[in-house]
Amino acid sequence: MRIRVKEVAALAAFVLAAPWLAPVPLGGQTPSATFPAYKAPRTSDGRPNLNGIWQSFTTANWDILAHAAQPGPHPEVMGAWGAGPGGQGIVEGNEIPYQPWAAAKKEENFKSRMVVKVTNDPHRYDTGEPELQCYRPGVPRANYMPYPFQIFQTREQILIVYEFKGAIRTIYMNSKEEAPSDTWMGWSKGRWEGDTLVVDVSAFESYTWFDRAGNFHSDALHVVERYTPVSPYHLQYEATIEDPKVFTRPWKMSFPIYRRVEPNVQLIEFNCVPFVQEMMYAPLGLYKPRNK
Amino acid sequence: MRHRALGPLGAVTLVIVFVLGVSVGVGGQAPSATAPSGTKVFDETATNTDAAIRKATEVARTAGTATKNWTPPRTAWGDPDIQGYYFNHSSYTPLERPAALGDKAFYTEEEALAAFKKAVETDAEVDPRVVHYDWKEYGMDAWQMSGVRPNLRTSLIVDPPDGRIPPLTPEARKRLAAAAAAEKAKGIDVTSPGTYTRCITGNGGPPRIPGGVTAESQILQTPGYVVMVHQSNNDVRIIPLDGRPHLPTTVSQWLGDARGHWEGTTLVVETTNFNAERNWRGSTETMHLVERFTLVGPKTLRYQFTVTDPATWTRPWSIDSLLPQIDPPIYEFACHEQNYGLINWAIGSQLREKEAAASGQSAQPLRDER
Repeated sequence: MRIRVKEVAALAAFVLAAPWLAPVPLGGQTPSATFPAYKAPRTSDGRPNLNGIWQSFTTANWDILAHAAQPGPHPEVMGAWGAGPGGQGIVEGNEIPYQPWAAAKKEENFKSRMVVKVTNDPHRYDTGEPELQCYRPGVPRANYMPYPFQIFQTREQILIVYEFKGAIRTIYMNSKEEAPSDTWMGWSKGRWEGDTLVVDVSAFESYTWFDRAGNFHSDALHVVERYTPVSPYHLQYEATIEDPKVFTRPWKMSFPIYRRVEPNVQLIEFNCVPFVQEMMYAPLGLYKPRNK
Repeated sequence: MRHRALGPLGAVTLVIVFVLGVSVGVGGQAPSATAPSGTKVFDETATNTDAAIRKATEVARTAGTATKNWTPPRTAWGDPDIQGYYFNHSSYTPLERPAALGDKAFYTEEEALAAFKKAVETDAEVDPRVVHYDWKEYGMDAWQMSGVRPNLRTSLIVDPPDGRIPPLTPEARKRLAAAAAAEKAKGIDVTSPGTYTRCITGNGGPPRIPGGVTAESQILQTPGYVVMVHQSNNDVRIIPLDGRPHLPTTVSQWLGDARGHWEGTTLVVETTNFNAERNWRGSTETMHLVERFTLVGPKTLRYQFTVTDPATWTRPWSIDSLLPQIDPPIYEFACHEQNYGLINWAIGSQLREKEAAASGQSAQPLRDER
C-alpha cells in the first residue's frame, strides 16, 4: 500500500505544482506547446508504456460541440438526474463541416434520439441514439464516454477494454491485414511515431453516433487517432475524422485522457443489456411486468 | 485398461497425449494455398471419417512424444506465458458421464475411437424444428473445423467420482421450484431464455463449459494482468495478479470478480461476486469458482475448474479438460445490437404457449442456446 499512497501523493504534488494545469484550452493544442518535454516509461519491448486504466473528463458524450447545460428529455420524472452539464466541446474550431443534407439529418437525429424501434427490417438501426439502447459506441466516442477504459499493451497488439458495455477493440500493430468485415468498433491498425501511438481505424458500421446530440457519420468513416503520453498521469488524444459521404472536409477533435490512480482501481462491469430490455421489448409485448 | 495401472497422474498424461495433436492441420489439411496448380494430391482424410480419425490419432501420438519434457515459455517479465488463441472444445466428451458407465472414468483407446466416431456422425443431427446448416457438409462441425479429437475420458467431470453434477440441496430444489413457478406465472417474454440468447453473457459462463458454438477465446498478458477475451458475446475477464482483495460483496457482476496468481506454471483464478440473476446451472451469487490454466504443450492448454456453492450443491464439483490452440483472431460479436433472434424466439415461444393453453397442454418454449 505504501507505494500506492506515494503515487497518490505524487499526483497531488504534481497537480498542485504544475502551473500549466491552469486553464488549458481544449482542442487543437499540441502537447509540446503546453507541457514540459516528457519521455514515457517503456515496456519490455522498448515502447512507451500505455498500460493502465484511463478516463477522459469532458461533456462531449452529450454534445461534441460547445453547449450549454440542458434539461433531460424527460424532466417531469428525471429532474436534475436527467440533465446534461454544459461544456466547451472537443472539436477544433467548434465546427463540424457537414454537407447540407447531413446538417439537416443531424437535426432530425436529435429530434428522434429517443425513438426506439426494434424490428428486423433492413433499416433497423436507423433510429434513436445508440447509447440509449446499449449499443457499442464506436470510435472515437468510446474514448470520451463518462466511463473508464483499460489498455493492455503487447508488442503485436493493444487491447482496449471499455467499461461501457464491456466493448473491446484490438489494435493490430504494424499490420497489413484488412478488415474482415464492417464492425461497430471498427478495424484498428496501429504504429508508433516516436512516443505517439497512431491508430488508423476504418471499416465501421454506419449506425454509431458521436454523441447524444445526433452528430453522426456513415460507413465511410475513417478515423486516425493519436495517443501521446505527456505526463505520468495523462495522454493527449487527437482524432482526425474523415467521411466524404457526410462531411465536406476532414476535421479534428482533441482532449486529454487521465490515468485513474485510485488504489486497486478496476473496471466495474457495465452490462447495460438488462437495463434496456423493458424499454426495447415492452412495446412489442415481449417484456412482461415483474411481480415486485 | 492398461492406463488404470498408472494411477490418476499417468491417466491424465495419457489423455493429454491422446489429444495433443489438436491444432495440427485438421485431418492433414494443412493450408495449401501456395501449392502450384495441379500439384495438390487428393487427401482422403478430407472425406473419409475413419482415415481422418486414424491420422489425427497418429499425429497426436507423435506430438505427445515430442512434448514430453516440454516447459512453457516465459514472458519478458518472467511470468509463465500462456498467451494465444484457444478453442473451448477439444473433444466430444460430455460434461456428465452416462450413468451406465458408473465410475468408469476412462475408455480404452478402442472404446474412445468408437465413441468419437459415433459423436462425429451425430454432430450434424439437430432438432428438425429449427433451421440449421449442415455443419458436416461445409466442414463446420467441431472436429473438422476446430480440432476436436478423441479423448479417453468418459466425462469432463472428474469429481465426484461418478462424473456427474452432485445433487441439489433441498434448499436449492425449493428455490428453483419457486423460480420456475414465478416464471410460469409471468409467462414467456424476452427474459425467459438463457443469458446467451439475451446477449448478456456468452455461453452462460464463467466457468467455461467446453463445447458449443463460438467457443474461440484469447488470452493476453501484460505485467500484473491476464485478460481473457471470449468470442461469444465478446465477454472479457480482466484478472489482476497483484493479490488485491475481491470487490465488496455489494458489487456483483455477470462475469464475477476474478483474481489470479501463479502456482508454478499454472494460472489459478478465483472468481466470486456473481450476479444473483445469472442463475448458472441453478447456482446463487455465493458460488465460488476456482479455475486452473496450465500450458501442457506448445498448442494445448489444460483447463480445470472447481465450483462450490453450498446453497446449491451438496458438494463441490470439478472438471478437467484441454483447450487446443487455434488461429487468430477474435472477431467483434455485436450480439445485442438489434437482437432480432431474441425477438423471434420470444414471439415463437409465446405462440407455442398460446397453442398449448388452447389445447390444455403445458407449453414447450423453443430451444435456445444457453
